[in-house]
Amino acid sequence: MRLDAKIPAGPLPQKWDRHRFELKLVNPANKRKYDIIVVGTGLAGASASASLAELGYNVKTFCIQDSPRRAHSIAAQGGINAAKNYPNDGDSIWRLFYDTVKGGDFRAREANVYRLAQVSNWIIDQCVAQGVPFAREYGGLLANRSFGGAQLSRTFYARGQTGQQLLLGAYSALMRQVASGKVRMFPRREMLDLVVINGQARGIVARNLVSGEIERHEGHAVVLCTGGYGNVYYLSTNAKACNVTATFRAYKRGACFGNPCFTQIHPTCIPVHGTYQSKLTLMSESLRNDGRVWVPKTPGDQRKPSQIPEAERDYFLERKYPSFGNLVPRDVASRNAKEQCDQGKGVGDTGLAVFLDFSDAIKRDGRAVIEKKYGNLFQMYEKITGEDPYATPMMIYPAVHYTMGGLWVDYNLMSTIDGLYVLGEANFSDHGANRLGASALMQGLADGYFVIPYTIGGYLAGSHFAEVKNDHSAFTDSVKEVQERVTKLLAVRGRRTVDDFHRQLGLVMWDHCGMARTNEGLTTARARIQELRAEFWQNVRVPGTGRDFNQSLEKAGRVADFMEFAELLILDALARQESCGGHFNDAYQTEENEARRDDANFCHAAAWEFTGEGKDPVLHKEPLVFENVHLTQRSYK
Amino acid sequence: MSKTIHLTLKIWRQNGPGDKGRFETHPAKNISTDMSFLEMLDVVNEQLTLEDKEPIAFEHDCREGICGTCGTMVNGRAHGQLKGTTLCQLHMRHFADGDTLVIEPFRARAYPVIKDLVVDRSALDRVIQAGGYISVNTGNAPEANTLPVPQDRAERAMDAAACIGCGACVASCPNASAMLFVSAKVSQLALLPHGRPEAARRALSMVRAMDACGFGNCSNHRECEKTCPKEISIVNIARLNREYFKAAFISQEN
Amino acid sequence: MNWFSAALGSSVGKKLMMALTGLAFIGFLAAHLAGNLTIYGGKAAFNGYAEKLQSLGPLLHLFRAGLITFALVHVLTGLYLFWLNRRARPVGYRMHATAGGRTLSSRTMPYTGIVILVFVIFHLFHFTFVDKTATTVFDMVAAAFNQPAYVLLYAALMIVVGLHVRHGFWSAFQTLGVNHPKVMPTVSAASIAAGAVVALGFGLLPLVIALRY
Repeated sequence: MRLDAKIPAGPLPQKWDRHRFELKLVNPANKRKYDIIVVGTGLAGASASASLAELGYNVKTFCIQDSPRRAHSIAAQGGINAAKNYPNDGDSIWRLFYDTVKGGDFRAREANVYRLAQVSNWIIDQCVAQGVPFAREYGGLLANRSFGGAQLSRTFYARGQTGQQLLLGAYSALMRQVASGKVRMFPRREMLDLVVINGQARGIVARNLVSGEIERHEGHAVVLCTGGYGNVYYLSTNAKACNVTATFRAYKRGACFGNPCFTQIHPTCIPVHGTYQSKLTLMSESLRNDGRVWVPKTPGDQRKPSQIPEAERDYFLERKYPSFGNLVPRDVASRNAKEQCDQGKGVGDTGLAVFLDFSDAIKRDGRAVIEKKYGNLFQMYEKITGEDPYATPMMIYPAVHYTMGGLWVDYNLMSTIDGLYVLGEANFSDHGANRLGASALMQGLADGYFVIPYTIGGYLAGSHFAEVKNDHSAFTDSVKEVQERVTKLLAVRGRRTVDDFHRQLGLVMWDHCGMARTNEGLTTARARIQELRAEFWQNVRVPGTGRDFNQSLEKAGRVADFMEFAELLILDALARQESCGGHFNDAYQTEENEARRDDANFCHAAAWEFTGEGKDPVLHKEPLVFENVHLTQRSYK
Repeated sequence: MSKTIHLTLKIWRQNGPGDKGRFETHPAKNISTDMSFLEMLDVVNEQLTLEDKEPIAFEHDCREGICGTCGTMVNGRAHGQLKGTTLCQLHMRHFADGDTLVIEPFRARAYPVIKDLVVDRSALDRVIQAGGYISVNTGNAPEANTLPVPQDRAERAMDAAACIGCGACVASCPNASAMLFVSAKVSQLALLPHGRPEAARRALSMVRAMDACGFGNCSNHRECEKTCPKEISIVNIARLNREYFKAAFISQEN
Repeated sequence: MNWFSAALGSSVGKKLMMALTGLAFIGFLAAHLAGNLTIYGGKAAFNGYAEKLQSLGPLLHLFRAGLITFALVHVLTGLYLFWLNRRARPVGYRMHATAGGRTLSSRTMPYTGIVILVFVIFHLFHFTFVDKTATTVFDMVAAAFNQPAYVLLYAALMIVVGLHVRHGFWSAFQTLGVNHPKVMPTVSAASIAAGAVVALGFGLLPLVIALRY
């Protein structure tokens, strides 16, 4: 297989315009003859469904939740970036492009990122027109803030609920198309297979989560907007239903998986309390603007924070990174917290936490100022932990948050299967090895509103489609496989629950393939996962039947896929013998404990091809060519 | 600090829409007070699974109070007794050792039970389909700062837009009315200049859809705003009423 | 008039009818109470008030026709809403606690309404639709309230009416869309006051009459 990214020729700023001109168009009267399947209704899926339906295509949209409004994009707090330069502080499309490429540690494709920066401004226009209540200045114009250590104010926000408001905007556009009859909505459906006929993605097989029925849906193209795979770690900031199944099934049908080892760990989450814990809650990293991170200098110090005198505290971020201090990037802050805990200096019942202390800020600015800035976050913290962060330091710990990896796509967002498009977090395209704050929302909406509507037309107009009905043998075979798998899961009737396996998988991944990785640890983890997977199919207990609403069965299918996918993630981490962004291999670090890239050997995107059950996947490399930016080493000293 | 409590759960069990349903009693033992309510149910379900019984079906997703998926009645209160809190953010430290909890699904004619505590709230989507949007196609939008929005108006729009669509307003309303939900969307879009062109049609159409879904009528009991996990105010219901009267009696819309 | 019936037929329209007719009845109650208070002026004053009313002639008939129409609208719509609202939750809760919204007054609206309807009919036959050729209104009222059972009945009923007004008053404003942070606290307070005035104003009269005459 040869990877062709289909990057248009010409100077960077003109690539997208030129490409749009070169793409074939579908006659307006012909659009209604094409059926497009969209899986997932987050920012990418909802915006794509609505935009494609507005153009006249027949869209069938699927979501796993009871309503398309619940997709996990809704939980994004901070904001969305755009290069509007409203604050007049020197922003530009080029600068947003550059920051995103640099933030991604030079492991993203220039052309894609530049396009993302270009369309970012249209996104804001579109969302405002939809009625998204962005924060405003007194004069009634849009407000911006600086976010995630950016040196510019380019982030648009709606309180701490930007993701919610953007998603509800896209959802409302989607609902409008449902009402117009151009979108048929299928909620409570889980895609369990991709149907490929003559090399083209022509449909999906999905389980109706209420009736248990295995359904067949045919179309001329399939658009996957199914989010990331952070739940392979069990504990993450993702919603419980987030899973890898749709993209992993597509991978098994021939779509290459790109850079699976690029995962992002967010430094400011509420620490784990106990084994029963089901998820981790993120708190906005804006907290690090005023909070000071510290641990006791002596390992195992069990005193209350108020009893530890100033001299016995180690403000390790301020000590190690005097110029950036507590505001170092996400990956640096996360790794350092882990390092302190590994040395036994962690605090709290589990020893897996560091303090985030606001007492100096409260002394300096007064409680009222801190309350105005962070009141809702402090309230959330107190609700969950039962402790008052005004009186005692917060405890935080890093948690898996976002996955930059995903299905490999070309410039058109098409995977290595013709007609299979992948949008949003589900693809690998724009964030390289690390995503900047407030960029995930931008990418999801860029893909859905402003990329797929053009590129899919080029494919549809330029392809020949055999007539396919859903009784085609490819559908029949797929349904059979899906049903057999369901039957197999129910038939094991072992002694361990699905969650029990998932928790164990998560621990192995977190310990060996989390913030800092070693070749030895990765190899151990791979073996442990193979053992665990074998045990899963011998000893998992899935109660109930496949013929009705069965949440245990849903989970079991997802965990089974995570168990296979985890190995792919580890293989990718092993293959990438460098450190970059979210992938940190202990063997490759600078003297300042920074990720040390190896641009000579690893300046590529990894794309893994499935070659059959029980066989190792094959690695393809897409070389990354940087013609417009200079590759540099990050430093935050 | 964390401690351990024992509870008795009286939980509604119903195999499917056709089943009559019944209450079952299950012990919830060794529950850490640091758990969330849903984690407590997870623990009970793990136990049930190992005892070869069917776990309790309940809905949840983000578990951080924003997706609106979770929600059941706990001792007669939607999302439990804590103000401004979804069920996933209700922690067990708010219960005492030995408590008995009655756990029921959200009930309304418009919310048929699917299984146990899981109900079908698609009626809320149907109401949004009737007009809970601004008709702007992708690419149509003018430059974002073309229409200024006074800050306080934007803030009030955001107050209304904070609705997570959990449907607890309906569940807690003695009349199973969806007025708070509908009014939140109507208000958000009516407050913004971008939403004005369609305001009349939206108000008429969304109220019509709400009535067609079988929700009850508002009697101004105010249970909805007291229960709402996002504390959305009934000021929005008053605004919906105004928008509706303007639309019905003054505008050209039908 | 299709648009008109559609508007009034919706849930919001039905509430509008309840609010408008309800407010009209509050106005009526105010006038009625003002008239009744003339009883403190003695027999002559009270009978004078009654005669003055009678002398309005056609105006009085128009007024009565209006009241009857309003009553029909209020009662029929109210009963229909009561039925619809019960139907909106066919399977009830085993436990349904309040989060602090409902009040005794709000939750009993349909029931106090029905009681008031029955009472109004009784009251009309008791004092209004009677042959007054041989007696005056004052004598009739005084005679009635010399029986403790009537005093108790009327006083109790006035508490019921007060309860109904206590929720109905502010609720009508809310339904009409008059809910503004600057105004609502006053309306809410006025609603409690209105309920109390109705309950006490009317409710004390039978007692006063019984004791004085």
